[in-house]
Amino acid sequence: MTDASLTLRETDEVLAAEYVLGVLDREERAAVAARLRQDQEFAGLVAAWEERLSGLNGGFAEAPAADLLPRIEARLFPAARSPRRWSPLRWLAGAGVAAALVLAGLAMLPPPRSDLVAVLAAADNRLAYEVRRSGQTLRITRVAGEPAAEGQVHELWVIAPGAAPVSLGLLQQDALVVDHALPAPGWVLAVSVEPAGGSPSGQPTGPVILTAQVEAGT
Amino acid sequence: MSDDPVADLITKCAGGDRAAFRLLYRATAAKLMGVLLRILGERAEAEDALQEVYTRVWLRAGRFDPARGRGMTWLVAVSRNLAIDRLRARPSETADDAMETVPDRTPRAETRLVAAGEARRIADCFTTLEPDRAEAVRGAYLDGLSYADLAARHAVPLNTMRTWLRRSLLKLKECLDR
Repeated sequence: MTDASLTLRETDEVLAAEYVLGVLDREERAAVAARLRQDQEFAGLVAAWEERLSGLNGGFAEAPAADLLPRIEARLFPAARSPRRWSPLRWLAGAGVAAALVLAGLAMLPPPRSDLVAVLAAADNRLAYEVRRSGQTLRITRVAGEPAAEGQVHELWVIAPGAAPVSLGLLQQDALVVDHALPAPGWVLAVSVEPAGGSPSGQPTGPVILTAQVEAGT
Repeated sequence: MSDDPVADLITKCAGGDRAAFRLLYRATAAKLMGVLLRILGERAEAEDALQEVYTRVWLRAGRFDPARGRGMTWLVAVSRNLAIDRLRARPSETADDAMETVPDRTPRAETRLVAAGEARRIADCFTTLEPDRAEAVRGAYLDGLSYADLAARHAVPLNTMRTWLRRSLLKLKECLDR
């Protein structure tokens, strides 16, 4: 990614432009995506390039799409349409996760209290995170155990039914506050172990160690 | 309310407003479908990607910052990023495949005045680039071509394409920021 004829500032500028333009290969894109989550200044360069090149968006002709809104809403807001029909196990089975461990984790969950959205706890309670609602944000606090070992990090994911996991952020020493619309009942929260800096691919790559389903009425 | 209705709807989504989400879908799905279809080339995959895009939009609406850019710009960026990630994840894709899947090269008249102004500005700045380099930048942005695809299409070595494009991008920036 280095080019002797470019200054350091230009190197970042060019990398942001290459990412927005889309010319990078898979590994390079994943590395930039991981950096974007941590480096606000670099994220600003990317946003500026998105705006700069937006004049090309007129080149995308509109295309009629089938009305996918009902399917999207059923995925995002399952409680309103098909309460509790969806099971987290389908995703978990697909992801090849040790279901036994997960079931044990789910069985240990206490009933949610008022602002408590979910508890992610290991079967033996040696590691646990609480997810609480605070206004329009979620606050995730470690209530038992230690952060991930050096060189690794716990990453929090939210999984809407039938959708790919989306990262909510990295769980480190301090509580994680996510500016985020509240997940609906039936959604799954999960914690995976990732290399420091977070998943390089934007999807869980390490073992999923904790999961919990968001309960109705929270 | 701002002069960017799409941005207002995204901001409401961040607050959990499902009615705003419906309005946002109705107002923007055809445009985003156009983005996904052009880059991915297959309708079934584009429709699958469209569901994923709106799922991400709902989940990430809180990260949208109206001070950093317009709502539609953000939505197109979410869509392009998803489509390009899917393209790059395709097994052993060749440059030939990438060219065959380009569906529709006819740009439709952009109706929004702001967008038209921006389009004219970027078109003016493209004239400062050599024609084949301008074509490479456009091809990457609209068709999701990688450096490898572009090198094959323009029959130049990969590193030459990198150098071309990087210089072109810096030149574009200088012109657009003027």
